Amino acid sequence: MKGRVRVPAYNSRKLKMLFFSRVLGALVVLAMVTPASASDWRTPESQLAAKIAATTGPGVVALDVTNRSSISSADMEQIRTELTSVLANSGVRVWQPDQAAATIRLTLAENLQEYVWVAQIQQAANQESVIMVSLPRPASFAAAQNSQPLNLHATPVISQAEPILDFAILEGSPRRLLVLGGTAVTIYEFKDGRWLAGQSLPIKTPVPLPRDLRGRIFLRKDHLFDVFLPGLVCRTSGSAPLSMNCQQSDDPWPIQTEDAGLSGFFSPTRNFFTGALVPGILKQRSAPAFYSAAAVPRQNYILWLFSTLDGTLHLLDGINDQVAARVHWGSDIAGVRTACRPGTQVVATMQQEDGRDSLQAFEVPDREPLVVSQKLPLNGNVTALWTSQAGDGITAIVHNPDTGNYDAFQISLNCAQ
Amino acid sequence: MRFRSALIALSSLLLIAVAAAAEQRPHYGGTLRIAVRETPQAIDPASMNGGESENIARLIFENLVRLDANGHPQPLLASSWQAEPGNQRWRISLRDGVSFTDGFPLDAASVAASLRSSNPAWKVVAVSETVMIETPSPDLKVPAELALPRNAIVHRNSDKLAGTGPFVARDWVAGKRLVLAANDDYWHGRPFVDSVEVSFGISDREQLLALDLGKADIVEIPAESIRRAKAEGRTVLSSEPAQLMALTFAHDPRNEDELHARNALAATLDTTSLAEYVMQGGGDAEAGLLPTWLSGYGFVFPVPRLNQQASPVRLQSARTAWTLAYDAADPVARVVADRILLNARDAGIAIQLVSSGAADIRLARFSLASLDPETALAELAKALQLDPPKFSEYSVEEMYAAEKLLLQPHRVIPLLHLRRAIAARSNLRGLSISPDGEWELGNIWIAVEKP
Repeated sequence: MKGRVRVPAYNSRKLKMLFFSRVLGALVVLAMVTPASASDWRTPESQLAAKIAATTGPGVVALDVTNRSSISSADMEQIRTELTSVLANSGVRVWQPDQAAATIRLTLAENLQEYVWVAQIQQAANQESVIMVSLPRPASFAAAQNSQPLNLHATPVISQAEPILDFAILEGSPRRLLVLGGTAVTIYEFKDGRWLAGQSLPIKTPVPLPRDLRGRIFLRKDHLFDVFLPGLVCRTSGSAPLSMNCQQSDDPWPIQTEDAGLSGFFSPTRNFFTGALVPGILKQRSAPAFYSAAAVPRQNYILWLFSTLDGTLHLLDGINDQVAARVHWGSDIAGVRTACRPGTQVVATMQQEDGRDSLQAFEVPDREPLVVSQKLPLNGNVTALWTSQAGDGITAIVHNPDTGNYDAFQISLNCAQ
Repeated sequence: MRFRSALIALSSLLLIAVAAAAEQRPHYGGTLRIAVRETPQAIDPASMNGGESENIARLIFENLVRLDANGHPQPLLASSWQAEPGNQRWRISLRDGVSFTDGFPLDAASVAASLRSSNPAWKVVAVSETVMIETPSPDLKVPAELALPRNAIVHRNSDKLAGTGPFVARDWVAGKRLVLAANDDYWHGRPFVDSVEVSFGISDREQLLALDLGKADIVEIPAESIRRAKAEGRTVLSSEPAQLMALTFAHDPRNEDELHARNALAATLDTTSLAEYVMQGGGDAEAGLLPTWLSGYGFVFPVPRLNQQASPVRLQSARTAWTLAYDAADPVARVVADRILLNARDAGIAIQLVSSGAADIRLARFSLASLDPETALAELAKALQLDPPKFSEYSVEEMYAAEKLLLQPHRVIPLLHLRRAIAARSNLRGLSISPDGEWELGNIWIAVEKP
């Protein structure tokens, strides 16, 4: 094979977007790169056969194939069969070693970027000839997710290489998707079964934004949306053309949903809420510094759950600040309502044995959270988990280590039997 | 009955939920303590030699480009790049809003000055807001070369060096100690830890002791100790076999006899046993310059396996007498050198060990400089003082031919490709090591122990 395909240029901001069409039903299926199929091997097989034939000339050869790559055994057998056939078309017949004029040791190998097929050809007393072909390896093979009939459902929305902090969907015709990234808010339109990127509104910040960047996007009635970032608030114009203006600000962020009536100050240089609350929970004006919070409304008050920096779960009811014993949730929790079950459920992140995260739903009938769903395993680590603006769902962003992409999901709780 | 089953299922779920480890968001704060064996006299990209101090330097200095885990160039201080037709002139655009830690803005002039100093063969000029690089010949690998440690962008102000990285040097005692403080204005976001303290010149044994006593958070693990460190339950991160251990000759063979003797030596070295017994599986016996995981073809170069041969190659005469030098500071080098001596004796080759001074052969280690195979091969050739390989097609077959050509003069006999590894305290998060042994420290944070 000739030189590998090279593009001697890089232009930043060229997002390699993968678009998910919405999946009806309850199964979670992440983007899968289709493994190389039969036809994929034909080109390298032909190239290799031509090089072998040019080296050995017509005649009988022995072929020994070894697989040192991630190619499956079935594919290896397919390659052996097809190569034998292509060689025969070039006058090179594969036969038993004792009757062969040449021995070909074919190794299916690979490096970081390519499959490398190496044929070492030994002809009588001649020096060994080495010929090679290479072909690009598929980027990755993302594993399919657990598809058991679960109560927690994840609907893929969009996936991109650039981090996603939050997203919001504007129902209408066409439907629009607002994706908050670290450098811009991008507006997509749903057309022909997929999201198409449209206007991008850059986030102009006079100071560097912190690592583990977090942010929220809230739809508004008098203008399109507001964006909250650490130390920064951005607001869109109220009239066309649409623009966005960002200003340094320490305004508190709405916690959970605006209907919940609680806001918290977010550290301008860190990744957590400072604990200062507005207007507070009855008499309590502050909580320990926290990463996330969820509201569990009771008959006469709201019980607030805070996932704090020291890894504990604090329960604040307006008077008491109680630490939940034996609860080891992750940093991200979010409250959610379902139509089929009274009360509010809390969805929390947890780590699986393989280092990836899962989500699980809980209810807090008293002060002890109880599990109400199976775990929903995810294909990576949760980087954002927020209650949707309507409060009936959750937006989750998962960083997939296999693809390197940030996958956005709508998480819902379903009471299907 | 169904209700009872559901209750049991729910109870078991609760137990699992309680027992499961929780995923935490990164914590800010704390000091990261690192201990290494090297004793660098300067933390300057211009004087890096492939050791672990390169990993430390990356905390202070950054390149225009970085290579991802697959060896693909990605922007760092550059925002984009474009080759002109012919691939000899490259125009690099820079990221906006970046400053050196001495306050000087990162602009085309400062970048051009830095690259001119590290690449005398390149013509580098600032053109408006961009940097123009002209190479002596067409070079499709300029982006990968810009990711080499020596091409980190440095602002030199008399004796003082400043970078654009996530940390800034606060205290430096050559060969002994370096203290870094988080760069609050870092363009990519302030690092999570407040500071990094590096202790240099710490032996392998002292490093492990410091880790066990809680006095160090990250220590090096030599290739030969990886297996044991894992068996002892330590948190060990290791690279692919990415460090070449090789015998290098001071000059080309002077005559046929010497060429024959070098062939005989190469054929008689039992590198498979070296990999398994001396290095305890911490590396692979390979006879290529590049490891197979990077080239895809390294296995083609035959590795001598004594137990599979009827008898090793034996020289007719034992006239050859070489001296072999090894790094006395490298704890395992002496053991490897002794093995080489024994193997050589079997082939009728006399070798005398010397720990310093001039020698005919040198046992040395060479770290992979790049995850881009052509760039890695070119840098290895430079380190081995061999003629630079030439590429035009950038095909794997061409690279194999170039590597074969580099090995032909018998100036170098590759022995092993060794893994590079570190051990870390269990409460460190966000730490990773790249396939070529580069530490990824930028996103590291120290987890709070759960009450």
